[in-house]
Amino acid sequence: MSSMLDNASDEAYVKRGMLSSSSEEKRLYKARIQRFDSAHRHYIVLMGALAVLQFIAIAFFTRGFLLTRNVLENVASVTEAYGKFDKCVILIVDALRFDFAAPVDPADSSFNTNYHNNMPIFNMSWDSDTGSSLLLKFIADPPTTTLQRLKGLTTGSLPTFIDAGSNFNGKVIEEDNFIKQLYLRDKRVLFAGDDTWQALFEPFLSSQSEFHESLNVWDLDTVDNGVIDFFERKFLTVPQQEQEWDVLIGHMLGMDHVGHKYGPQHFTMKEKQLQVSDFIDDIRKTIDDNTLLIVMGDHGMDHTGNHGGDSKDELEAALWLYTKQTKAWNHLPEEQYSMDDLGLNYREVNQIDLVPTFSLLMGLPIPFNNLGWPFDEIATSEEESQMYSRLTLEQLKSYKDTSGVISNQHINQRLSDLWVLASNNYSKSADYQKFFLESCKDMWTRFDYWSIGSGITLLAISLLLLMSVTKLIPSIVVGQMVSEFVPSIIMMALVSNVCFNGIFHVLHQPSFLENWIWCSLFATAVGIIIGCCIPIFDRYNLTWILLKFLEELSDYWSRIAALLLTLHAIAFTSNSFTIWEDRIVCFLLTTLGMLTLNEFIFLPKRQSTTALLSAANGDKIPASTERLQAYRPHTENLPLGRFARLVGAYHSIVLIVCTRLSSMITICREEQGDKCTATFTLTNNYSVWCLLICLLLVPFLPSCIQGYYNVCSSYQAAAPIWIGQFLKAVLLTNFIYWALTACENRIPNWDWDLKIVKFTISRMIVGFSLIAANVGWMMGPLCVKINVRNNDLKSQQATILGYTNAYGSQYFLLVINFLMCIILFNKPLAQVSLFLMCNQLLSILEIFDLLKMKENLIGPVAMGLLAHQQFFSTGHQATIPSVQWDMGFILTERITFPFTHLSIVMNTFGPHILVALSVALLTLWKQAPSVLKPQTILARIVSNCGMLLIYNTVLCLSTFAWVTHFRRHLMVWKIFCPRFILASLCLIVTHVVIIFITIAFSSARLIKQINNIFWK
Amino acid sequence: MSSRKRHGIKKTVSFSDDEAFLRRRSSKNENKRMGLLNPPVYVRKTIGTVPIHLPGLTYYYLKISNDFDTVRLLYMLIVTQLLFLVFQFNRNTIYGNKRLKIHFGSLAISIVACFLLTLPCMLLIVLMGAPFGMLLWETWLLAAHCCFLAFPAVYSVFNCDFKVGVFKNYFLSICIGCWVSCVVIPLDWDRPWQEWPIPLVVGGYLGAFVGYTICSYV
Repeated sequence: MSSMLDNASDEAYVKRGMLSSSSEEKRLYKARIQRFDSAHRHYIVLMGALAVLQFIAIAFFTRGFLLTRNVLENVASVTEAYGKFDKCVILIVDALRFDFAAPVDPADSSFNTNYHNNMPIFNMSWDSDTGSSLLLKFIADPPTTTLQRLKGLTTGSLPTFIDAGSNFNGKVIEEDNFIKQLYLRDKRVLFAGDDTWQALFEPFLSSQSEFHESLNVWDLDTVDNGVIDFFERKFLTVPQQEQEWDVLIGHMLGMDHVGHKYGPQHFTMKEKQLQVSDFIDDIRKTIDDNTLLIVMGDHGMDHTGNHGGDSKDELEAALWLYTKQTKAWNHLPEEQYSMDDLGLNYREVNQIDLVPTFSLLMGLPIPFNNLGWPFDEIATSEEESQMYSRLTLEQLKSYKDTSGVISNQHINQRLSDLWVLASNNYSKSADYQKFFLESCKDMWTRFDYWSIGSGITLLAISLLLLMSVTKLIPSIVVGQMVSEFVPSIIMMALVSNVCFNGIFHVLHQPSFLENWIWCSLFATAVGIIIGCCIPIFDRYNLTWILLKFLEELSDYWSRIAALLLTLHAIAFTSNSFTIWEDRIVCFLLTTLGMLTLNEFIFLPKRQSTTALLSAANGDKIPASTERLQAYRPHTENLPLGRFARLVGAYHSIVLIVCTRLSSMITICREEQGDKCTATFTLTNNYSVWCLLICLLLVPFLPSCIQGYYNVCSSYQAAAPIWIGQFLKAVLLTNFIYWALTACENRIPNWDWDLKIVKFTISRMIVGFSLIAANVGWMMGPLCVKINVRNNDLKSQQATILGYTNAYGSQYFLLVINFLMCIILFNKPLAQVSLFLMCNQLLSILEIFDLLKMKENLIGPVAMGLLAHQQFFSTGHQATIPSVQWDMGFILTERITFPFTHLSIVMNTFGPHILVALSVALLTLWKQAPSVLKPQTILARIVSNCGMLLIYNTVLCLSTFAWVTHFRRHLMVWKIFCPRFILASLCLIVTHVVIIFITIAFSSARLIKQINNIFWK
Repeated sequence: MSSRKRHGIKKTVSFSDDEAFLRRRSSKNENKRMGLLNPPVYVRKTIGTVPIHLPGLTYYYLKISNDFDTVRLLYMLIVTQLLFLVFQFNRNTIYGNKRLKIHFGSLAISIVACFLLTLPCMLLIVLMGAPFGMLLWETWLLAAHCCFLAFPAVYSVFNCDFKVGVFKNYFLSICIGCWVSCVVIPLDWDRPWQEWPIPLVVGGYLGAFVGYTICSYV
């Protein structure tokens, strides 16, 4: 506290000493600050307008690319009587992978006692006297998320990708499905388990159904115990006559949650499997002869325990049909059920095939939208087989004719041919279904090219505007122009809204816009573009902009920046490069480190160094150089002095080594296969050595940052409080949090309930780092100290320690605030990676400061590369299953609007947020006060932010272009589409952080404060 | 070595081709004394320095040999590089206005130096992203190939009083060759020549070929 007080008195002292008090100067100063404020507001609006333009572009592209499917509301009706069972018990075991249920040879290399052969119930002898059972491999259609699977499992249709986004707010299924059919036939459907069902089927379910919350993946037992208890009450202990249901459905989530929380290799999986197996056995014993028992998984899980994609392990679930009737199933020849190679060639059925199978067995009409085909095994005689084929065929035909999904003439012709064949010979009818299903799969990948095209065009134009406004037009001119931009953008947006909406209302053109919301969005985008173009073309013309663009790329480092950016962007041209993007980004960043190292060691002569030097010194070269040299005698003279070169080489090596070290932390994509060994695993994350490293970080991270501060003797006043106390305390608390989590995970018989403790810790950290620390930062924690040497008035001499880095040192404290928060939301290994990121970040700042490249393109490009490299090394990949959903439950127990979402954003985009914040440091780091005018500094910050946005926009544009190009590629949904979503989200996050925090909040406050104190 | 004794030149290690040095080189006629103190070092601009054995070896490695035996290639490289140095490169290296004779002591030293250089080179490769702890033998082989591709330049550096600046481009060209060739590693073509370190060896050869051919003109 004492140093805080010192700080306050120091400030007052500096003010007294430096701010000359003549009234004329005060007036000038006030006018300057007013001008600064108004320019600042205009900058925010300008950047905001460009951001809105890009968001609209992304919205249009997404709308066109992520597919939707027309839903028909027709309902099938009864035509004839059939059916073998009156009652049915359906038990859905979430994430019951096929090899969990099937018998696995213990000699197999991938055999694991924690998840293999723990459920013997499925493999009891076939067709014994006790009944007949049938175990099948149950192939899910991607995306393998529970909501999509439930839709597919009950309607027999194919959910499209757009539904994947609505997993968190499912709506009642409007399509015909077998639950609805049961309800319409007055069958009582009783349900217990996953509350996704509540959203989808509540009107059709009995009012006694019980729903349990499904998305809290850290809760392994509540849902399962609820289901078991419910079955006890309604079924197992109740005599047959008093049971109040015809169909009893249970949906257990324990196995899925074990997968998400621990992965399949964990011993908890075995416990869960044994529990489920016993439960199924109880049900099996209790059912009567007229009851069908169906046990199934809705999807599998990959080796990390996650799902959502379309890898073999995620798609293969198990399906088990059981009845006490003997010889109920007509088994195919034995070799179809071969368990060789973990059941590689085991008989498989599609999930949608269950829909007609269930309907036929239960005597229901097949749901109208069904595309599946009944299992061969359920027909015990030739007549039955014929009847089932005929019924399904009729349903498919009626669906095809009513929906008119197939508009292609050739396909229609081929379907008619197959129909004739099938009508003559029922054994051929499955071909009709297969071809129809394939054609539908093709049809539902039809894109809206108008929206895609306008999305790409708008984004490309926004890129050009962003380049002209932030890089090409000199920042001084932009500073004068912003006041013209803002009114013209607002006016043109209004005018164009009126025009477009008018035309759309009267003529319904352009027709792809569909409704007035999209029309307004499109009109706003056009308005922003025109509004930006008017002031630009008022002063410049195309030739000038083109020449300026070439000039911008004329020096060595700008070319390197352009090269790196291009290489990163063209990585999306191939699935291989996209898969290996983590390594590529790392390689590019290391290359940059090597190039700077080369620069410092060999000091090659560059034509442009003098030009760069004058550019770095700002507009008034003669006046400011002298002053600069007084402050920085070492580094101002190019070629660099020996000491500067040594320091530069050291920082380059730090950058390279840290990049290489953090690249060793990786969660492998499934496509990387055996070429990649995952290190970001549960075992490693919660291992003793990893926690030890985290403990070491508690003193080590602050002291590393302190080292960087000491370069300019900036470790004064507020810095020791922030870095030495706040950061250290938060890191220690954070360590305690993660140590507790690790104990819970690693110690088998851990039975202390630490929930309350953990929530308290995590909320404390977040509250402190995001609110308290930022409020503290707003007070202006200055990192300078005054050393007064002689106390008598005449020869008094004062040295201001930390003067040269007054801007940067204070700004970095803000970055530390966010770092404290982001570290909490990352698992221990990712925390190590973030520690390395701090070093990389500060080294990059030092390097580009030494090279006098604060304004160069290379700085923000290096930052952009760093953000992506760290995204991958904090345990992420550009795939949907690799999103760390479990981080969403750090602050709250259940999904609560801002907190869960905040946690996941902080976890996924942590590096991007840090980089978007610190891109301003490229200008501010080692920027002494009273050298540049406040407006100049702001203009430079905006220019550097603009370059970072250009970086992200180029990546986004590249993914747009290539995902469109590869729209029929085999891997589009698995590789290219997630990458495009990631690129869009990165761009959005970067925009939001830059506009609201970097430009609007922190830069202006900092610049004003420092100028208030130091400006003479 | 002999020239050094004759003129009594002070040995210096220069890592930079800084301005002063270049100016002296260009104005050597005006100032002969300076020229004697800092005799010009350069490689003559002839087609004599074109290393035809490098594309030959690459062709042999990729097309003729079926097993991509990198060790055998290394032996062949060492021998051919020695011959290249003696008969082509050294004859076209000018130091102090005259061609140098081959100096067997330096030759031996530079061979040893090349072997020693494989270790920092290996470190460099690992830092750039080569596997860490696995495939170390392959990485070392790659490093050895790179070092022996640079062997003539290393020899000349030893023989010309450590004027690294002149020969820097030769080293760089090999690095750039390797750097560019990384592009084929991630591709999913499943070709046998995508195995580590084959693409980088080939890239290094091609880089060196381009380097030895054009660096004297740059």
